Amino acid sequence: MNTFRLYLKSMSMLIRSQLQYPLSFLTQTLAQLVMEAGELLAVTLLVHRFDHLNQWTGGDLYFFFGLMSVTFYLTEFWGRGLTGAFSGMVRSGQLDTLLTRPRGVLTQVLCSAVDPRRITCVAVGVVSLAMGSRMSAVRWSAGNILLLAESIFCGFWMVLGLFMIEGVLCIYSVKSVEMANTLTYGGRSACQYPVDAYPRPLRAVFTVIAPFALVMHVPASQILGKPVFGWPGWAAYLAPLAGLVVFGVMYTVFARAIRFYRSTGS
Amino acid sequence: MRAYYSIFRMRRRMETQYRGAVLGGIICQVFFGLILVAVYRAMYAGRPQSMPIEHVASYVWLQQAFFRMLLSNDPDLLDKIRTGGIAYDLCRPVHLYGYYYARILAQKLMGSLLRAVPMLAFALLLPRGWGLSLPAGAPALLCALAALALGLLCMSALENLTMGFTMRTLDHRGMQAMMNLLTITFSGNLLPLTLFPDSWQRVITLLPYAQLLDAPIRLYTGDSALSLAPGILLLQAVWTVVLVLAGCLLWRVNQRRLIIQGG
Repeated sequence: MNTFRLYLKSMSMLIRSQLQYPLSFLTQTLAQLVMEAGELLAVTLLVHRFDHLNQWTGGDLYFFFGLMSVTFYLTEFWGRGLTGAFSGMVRSGQLDTLLTRPRGVLTQVLCSAVDPRRITCVAVGVVSLAMGSRMSAVRWSAGNILLLAESIFCGFWMVLGLFMIEGVLCIYSVKSVEMANTLTYGGRSACQYPVDAYPRPLRAVFTVIAPFALVMHVPASQILGKPVFGWPGWAAYLAPLAGLVVFGVMYTVFARAIRFYRSTGS
Repeated sequence: MRAYYSIFRMRRRMETQYRGAVLGGIICQVFFGLILVAVYRAMYAGRPQSMPIEHVASYVWLQQAFFRMLLSNDPDLLDKIRTGGIAYDLCRPVHLYGYYYARILAQKLMGSLLRAVPMLAFALLLPRGWGLSLPAGAPALLCALAALALGLLCMSALENLTMGFTMRTLDHRGMQAMMNLLTITFSGNLLPLTLFPDSWQRVITLLPYAQLLDAPIRLYTGDSALSLAPGILLLQAVWTVVLVLAGCLLWRVNQRRLIIQGG
């Protein structure tokens, strides 16, 4: 609990410091909005031309897109320490200071950065979710609300876990490893569309290795009333837990990597 | 002219320094390409369009291969403006606009050629409808190459012009992001321009953003007939001249109101 308080305190400090330059903050936040709105525009134009993708209607596609935006950008918002700053810390030797303090490394990394500019991306996601659920006439029963919340929560930890892959590789190779982006940013781009759009090998990657399909598409398709793999209803509640497993595994790997870490600093 | 050529050569060498990073970049780019092609294929399965899927796949691969021509970042100048280092550039016996134009050109050309060759080779090996198809014919290929060269000149001019605007603020990140979005959307990188609503296409293919990649790709796949090629090349040339002139003018005005920061 103490750790959590520490995190909140760091966050409020960091956010206040970013708000010191309101104009700069505002333009950058707007830029984020425009960028994410551009992505949504692409989906809109595709829906306009093609009307549907497999069994998914336009509304369903907005729903999938929205779920991905909300989850991914919430992670980039609150997990910025891992998603953005970490590889730089390893390269510059800044990570050393974290090792001397009486807190876990991961906690300190997470406390070191926040990216409130992403709020507009999350907002675009919320709009898309609302649009999608309206067009596809989703019935918001308690079960469905629970599913959505669970999906976003587990998705947060999964994306954080996937970003840790880059962190771990970075500790071993010192260089920043662009290839790890295929799972994180690649996963985001790919899985804003339902996973059954893809051929089998890609589907396997996004179900087993980076389980976006289990964490997002299974519950979302259940909410939309068209289970993507044809699984029974209770499975939709279990599948997102895969996200927590990813985080757990990566946490152990990360702890190991930290023991291996050798400073680059002087 | 020789000075600008040396600047170009220096920059070209810098771009070829980090080969490991290039390989990582290529793998990423290929992966993104595969994902995009898969999505468009799935869409096509439900509702085939007048333009064959092979053209869409080729469009995606050519876009991915030359991605670096679209977005290159040269933060040096903006850093120099913030730190006051621009004073040194002003001492050089070359035209400031020309100096940065040569740099941008070299960066775009080398950055993308290094990536494009292996990627296009890979894309040609993929099965039909997934990978890059052969050009519509030898004349089409030649026209496409000419259009790509002109498009590159045009895009570099556009980038230098926007740099002229961003020079006016000390914090360029917001502005830069907006510009990047315009480029990504209207160049066909976000979504092939050929899949935009037909009424939009009539307008956006005329914009300078479409000149760099969209125009040559359409010539390559044969979506733009050969008879249209002279018109396309002319449009590109006109844009290039207009943008270079506007850029030079803006940079000259900027230079006059320049304040050197720092001490």
